Amino acid sequence: MTEPAVLLEGIRVAFPDGPDERVVLDDLKLSVDPGELVVISGQSGAGKSTLLAVTGLLRRADAGEVTIAGTATSAMSSRQRTAVRRDHIAFVYQSANLLPSLTAVEQLELVGHIRGERSADVRRRARGLLDELGLADRASQLPSQLSGGERQRVGIARAFMAEPSVLIADEPTASLDPQRADSVAELLAGASGRGIATIVVAHDTAALSRADRHLRMEDGRLIDVGG
Amino acid sequence: MFLALRDLRRGARRFALLGVVIALVALLSTVLSALATGLVTDGISGLRALPFDHLALQDGSQSTFSRSTLRPDTLEKFEGLDGVKATPLGASFVNAASTDGGPNLDLALFGVSPDSFLVERPEAHAALEGTPGLVLAHELEEQGVKVGDTYTLGGSDVELPVLGFTFAGTYGHAPIAFTSLETWQKVQFGDGADGRFAAVALTGGTDQQLEKAATATHTDVLTKKEAYAGSPGYTAETTTMSLIRGFLLVISALVIGAFFTVLTVQRTRQIGLLKAMGATNGYILRDGIGQMAILVVLATAGGVALGCALVFFMGRGDAPVELSIPAVTTVVVSLVVAGVLGSLVAFKRITGVEPAIALGVEP
Repeated sequence: MTEPAVLLEGIRVAFPDGPDERVVLDDLKLSVDPGELVVISGQSGAGKSTLLAVTGLLRRADAGEVTIAGTATSAMSSRQRTAVRRDHIAFVYQSANLLPSLTAVEQLELVGHIRGERSADVRRRARGLLDELGLADRASQLPSQLSGGERQRVGIARAFMAEPSVLIADEPTASLDPQRADSVAELLAGASGRGIATIVVAHDTAALSRADRHLRMEDGRLIDVGG
Repeated sequence: MFLALRDLRRGARRFALLGVVIALVALLSTVLSALATGLVTDGISGLRALPFDHLALQDGSQSTFSRSTLRPDTLEKFEGLDGVKATPLGASFVNAASTDGGPNLDLALFGVSPDSFLVERPEAHAALEGTPGLVLAHELEEQGVKVGDTYTLGGSDVELPVLGFTFAGTYGHAPIAFTSLETWQKVQFGDGADGRFAAVALTGGTDQQLEKAATATHTDVLTKKEAYAGSPGYTAETTTMSLIRGFLLVISALVIGAFFTVLTVQRTRQIGLLKAMGATNGYILRDGIGQMAILVVLATAGGVALGCALVFFMGRGDAPVELSIPAVTTVVVSLVVAGVLGSLVAFKRITGVEPAIALGVEP
């Protein structure tokens, strides 16, 4: 049996709400296998982004265990969690979140630089990925010179550059027109072919139609609504 | 510094303002430093050039020649010490009125024995041993004073010719005029000098020997550097200049700290993004501090270069400015250190940024 790339068990997150607390994630469970694409939908404020943050080790849960690529992380120090994030997790954001002073190829090279890889290898791999995603001729452009769709594709290429076990995407198609949204969703679906466990928060059919599993967030838990 | 270098290159306009401020501080520091060095030189260069190690002055004179009067018996005690050379020194400020209608001069008049170790050059020795007269600092020659001009020294009727010029330097911002000790005594005390002089210049000997002799003769034995404090205005000038330079460094550190803090606040989401990508606090701090260090070094180099050019032009006028490599190096090193220290102000803010901010989630 394949070991899940992501395993969440008994996750609880609550925020203070005046004298009380508002429970956002309540005894939540989730298991995602390598190469599986899971799409999560839910109402605004349901806790989808919080779930992504906990899964991506960007914040700690109040209770429960997050296991990434077979490594339990709840007892880890911040430094150790940073190392797990660097080696196993990549993100794609709604607004691409590219660094304004870096060209497209440098956005990817930065990933390798943070990981302490040799710059010649990093540059070759970065160019290869941009080429693969149809951005070869945009490699030297700054984010301000790219269209919304191109920025998002560079964001995805950056995520692939990390060769992650887990790819987390937060509404990556929300700000794109249907045609570009479809192209981006296709690229994310391509992550499965790379053996990456992909968790996408999305509402549009472009993403939902490609999901291996569709989960809905309700009352702090995930409900399986089919594939 | 992958990100820092590209950020500096492509966001040059954002850093230009801070760069200009640092360059101006560096320029000002260089000019002040040159002024401080120049003032020190103007105050004590003559004393610094004399080949002695220690000076003995009358007890309680507080390094000031005009408050010190010593007699031959004191000199004899120092001369009697093994391995010590001692010679009397007269020093006072006088006004020299030209008898030929030329400009009057303010002089620091130093009286020395022609055959003492203080008179190193043979021509100076010959000049002082012959007819009484003045051997003047060479700067005065550039001002039009000539050999053979005669001056009446204020406070006395002693009239002396100019015998020659030498690298005598200045003391208390007045050019030094050497004369024989005997002539100095005549100018200072008239016919009742009774062998008096202002100080004993010493070379050689141990600290213990000199301390013992100082106690026995009721004198203060000062090192050469300690003797500088007796130059009029020396302590006030050096303290003021040090204070101004200190303030400039503090201001520089605060400006850089404030700028870096604002920059860090602006970059909060970017820092969160880097952390989400797996960058450690160390990586982000190295990048940020490295960026500030490059900016500070470049701006400081530019400012110092401009400052040196300005000092060069100021030096052609009357301003007492002097560039010295150690002083300029101190300016550069101090500004760079102050800048990097200032950038550390944002240290806590950077380490406090949560990676969850990259997703727009409340940490």
